[in-house]
Amino acid sequence: MTETVLNRGLLVAHLRILYTKLTAVLQNIPKDAAYRKYTEAIINERLNMVKTEPDVQKLENKINGGQIEEVILQAENELNLARKMAQWKPWEPLIEEPPSDQWKWPV
Amino acid sequence: AAAAARGLSRAGLRAATCLAVRQQARCLESSTTETHPTIRPKDEVQQKQLCAFGEYVAEILPKYIQQVQVTCFNELEMLIHPDGIIPVLTFLRDHTNAQFKSLADLTAVDVPTRQNRFEIVYNLLSLRFNSRIRVKTYADELTPLDSAVLVHQAANWYEREVWDMFGVFFANHPDLRRILTDYGFEGHPFRKDFPLSGFVEVRYDDEVKRVVAEPLELAQEFRKFDLNSPWETFPAYREAPEPLTIEAGDKKGDVK
Repeated sequence: MTETVLNRGLLVAHLRILYTKLTAVLQNIPKDAAYRKYTEAIINERLNMVKTEPDVQKLENKINGGQIEEVILQAENELNLARKMAQWKPWEPLIEEPPSDQWKWPV
Repeated sequence: AAAAARGLSRAGLRAATCLAVRQQARCLESSTTETHPTIRPKDEVQQKQLCAFGEYVAEILPKYIQQVQVTCFNELEMLIHPDGIIPVLTFLRDHTNAQFKSLADLTAVDVPTRQNRFEIVYNLLSLRFNSRIRVKTYADELTPLDSAVLVHQAANWYEREVWDMFGVFFANHPDLRRILTDYGFEGHPFRKDFPLSGFVEVRYDDEVKRVVAEPLELAQEFRKFDLNSPWETFPAYREAPEPLTIEAGDKKGDVK
C-alpha cells in the first residue's frame, strides 16, 4: 500500500519535470504564435494543479485527463509535438492557395 | 494576432451546407402540426463546439489549413495543403486538446474535372473526447504525398489500397505495393475513367495449361442508361447564370 503511494509520488515528480521541459521548449516559439499561447495556458494550469494538490487521486480528478500515467504519456506526446512545431513553424501564413474549384461541392 | 485573425477569416468557417436540411426547413415552415420523427433534430450545441474547435485548430496551423467546414450533421472537416499532412496529423494526435489517436479511415475520391483530381480523406477519432474529425488533402496523378505511416501505423494498408486503386504515390511508405488487384494487373480500378468491366478478361487455356489474360470481349455491348431526370436535382445550389458578354474579336456570326 505504501509502495503504491510512493510510486505515484514519483510519477507526479516526473510530470512536473515534463511540464518544465515543455515550457523551456516553448520559449523557442515566437510569443505571438497561437500554439504557444494555448499550450502555455494548458501547461501552467496543470502545473499549478500539480503543485497545489498533494493527493494523487484528487489531482487526477482535477486534471480530468484520465489516470496520472496517461497524463504523463500525454505530456510526453505534447513535448515531442512542441519540438516538431518549433521546426515546422505552422504559425506562418498559408503556403499556397488551392485552385479555385478544388473544394467546390457539389461539383 | 493579426496574422491569426487573417488566417481565421481565410480558413473561412463554412457552417451547415446541407441540402436536405434546407428543404426540410421549408417543409417544416409550411406545415403546422406535422412532426418528422425520422429526421435527426439539429444539435446546435455540438455544432457550436465543433465550429469552435475548428477555429482553434485553424488559428494554430494557418500555414497548412485552407478551409474548415462543419456539415449539417455535425462533422468537422479540415481542408489542407498536401505539404501539411504530417504536421497536421501529428498535431491532431499529440496535442492535449485534440488527442485524435485513432486513424479510422484513409480513402481517396476521384473528381476528374479538377486540376488535382484526387482528394485524399483521413478520418480520425479521439477516444479521450469522443469526437471525430476529417482531414482532406488533394493530389494529382503524378505528385507524391507524404505517407502518414510515420504518424499512424494504421495508414499502412490504407495507403497501399489508395496506391493500388487510384495511383496516388506515397513517399516514405515502408512497403508500397498492390494489395487488392491481381499480380500482373495494369491500371487503377477506382478511377472514374476505368470502365466497370475492366480491360482484360481471364480464361483457362488448355494449350499452355494456365490462366491467361486477354483483352475484353463482352457478348453484349455495355448499355448505358441516361439517368438524368428532367427535374432540377439541387435547387438549393443554383448558380446565377453567367451574363453574356461581347468580347473583342467576336464576329456577328459567332454563336456560343
